[in-house]
Amino acid sequence: MPHTPRRVAITGLGLVSPLGDSPDIFFTNLLAGKSGIARIKADWVEQLDNKIAAQADFDPTEHFTKQQIAVMDRVSQFSVYTAQQALKDAGLKLQRADLQRAGVYLGTGMGGAGSIEEGYARLYRDGANRLKPFTVLMAMNNAAASQIALEFGLQGPNLTFCTACSSSTIAIGEAYRQIRHGYADTMLAGGSEALLTYGTLKAWEALRTLAQEDPTDASASCKPFAANRTGLVLGEGAAMLVLEDMQRAKARGARIYGEISGYGTANDSAHITQPTVDAQANAMRAALDCAGLQPSDIGYINAHGTATILNDATESSAIKQVFGEFAASIPVSSTKSMHGHLMGAAGAVELLATTLAVVSGSIPPTMNLLEPDPACDLDYTPNAARHGVKMKHAMSNSFAFGGTGAVLIVSKPD
Amino acid sequence: MQSTLQILTKIIADKLEVEPATISAESTLEALGLDSLDTFDIIFSAEEIFDIKVPNDQVNISTLQDVVDLFDRLIKEQHPA
Repeated sequence: MPHTPRRVAITGLGLVSPLGDSPDIFFTNLLAGKSGIARIKADWVEQLDNKIAAQADFDPTEHFTKQQIAVMDRVSQFSVYTAQQALKDAGLKLQRADLQRAGVYLGTGMGGAGSIEEGYARLYRDGANRLKPFTVLMAMNNAAASQIALEFGLQGPNLTFCTACSSSTIAIGEAYRQIRHGYADTMLAGGSEALLTYGTLKAWEALRTLAQEDPTDASASCKPFAANRTGLVLGEGAAMLVLEDMQRAKARGARIYGEISGYGTANDSAHITQPTVDAQANAMRAALDCAGLQPSDIGYINAHGTATILNDATESSAIKQVFGEFAASIPVSSTKSMHGHLMGAAGAVELLATTLAVVSGSIPPTMNLLEPDPACDLDYTPNAARHGVKMKHAMSNSFAFGGTGAVLIVSKPD
Repeated sequence: MQSTLQILTKIIADKLEVEPATISAESTLEALGLDSLDTFDIIFSAEEIFDIKVPNDQVNISTLQDVVDLFDRLIKEQHPA
């Protein structure tokens, strides 16, 4: 399939998040500095040491039948609902021939974590000796993508990416390449995560990377780039994007939010959790090279910014290594301070925020940044959104336990 | 006490979110819109209620009446009065 590389448009957005279940509400909340982080609402919360998370207010019965819910884990409910939103937003009616050239790439860290946990609780805790018939189909990691493909009849590539915190950035980047190199015309790409279960939270607690609850305001517990940051806050949700071949999108008169103009990935082979400056910088450079852009072209960086001690200092140094003299003047922010860390869905949610920042010229803030850290000395857009910013290109970073770093660049449509 | 048919009808009606009156014993499961996986799910729910175990080689069923007959037989076998 020989092709000159094609341009890739973003034409539809869908989202479920701790800050609302539509892209507009979500972005408005981000600009207002609102937080979706709170004490967890669950009957086992008192058994946790870290009692905060960013839960999505999502009632499946508003969107699905009982029969659908019975076979779909929360992670798939999120994915199908956000895919529906995104296709509707794109105004896309896929015909039969289109469907063979339309696919879905989705990232998830833990897939149907809730279903597997519920099943094991039945066996180990309740002493039952058999599981619900749909347990495998709900728990398997590729269910969230496959349910989308089933719902919309997609017959092109259907792949699930599992690279922890960078899963959905990888999914979007690889989907971009499918269109760019002519293997598909339309891709639903993004990520979904629903891991706020008792067992999963206990496992994260044991890793000692979760934020301590802020003693005066639980919603301010995630403090990226601040000297008093104590770790990440887990969240749940999903974001799906419709990506299309730019020419086709223009030909059908689609609204084009932006263009995916660069994608880079680089592995960090030093340690299973500890990031290195070089590896993060390599991923950013790879994305710039792919886009054919210079560091000075980037007008905003949506940082990975987890609020762990190690990531934020490492990422700041990596940005300085790549952007050099321009690093200090490029606004950076970590929206995780408000929506938490959505793991496999984080990259997609943040690319959505980055896209809307480019479209609107408004940059969401890094909240809770009241105590500067000398190791983090960039412009993090602290505590208040910035409006009227002229930018043509913005970068979204995702780095991960396991090492897979991924960076996307989104550009204003011409 | 509810009959096996009434209980199974209720399980199916709940799953499909329809009125039990729309379901008759002669309906094939396929006509009701239930595929093989749905059938396993219904058998699973019924196994819990009747406290029996349906062996794997006995789930070859077509109509709701077939399911009723299967359960009535297994209840007798597994819970002799």
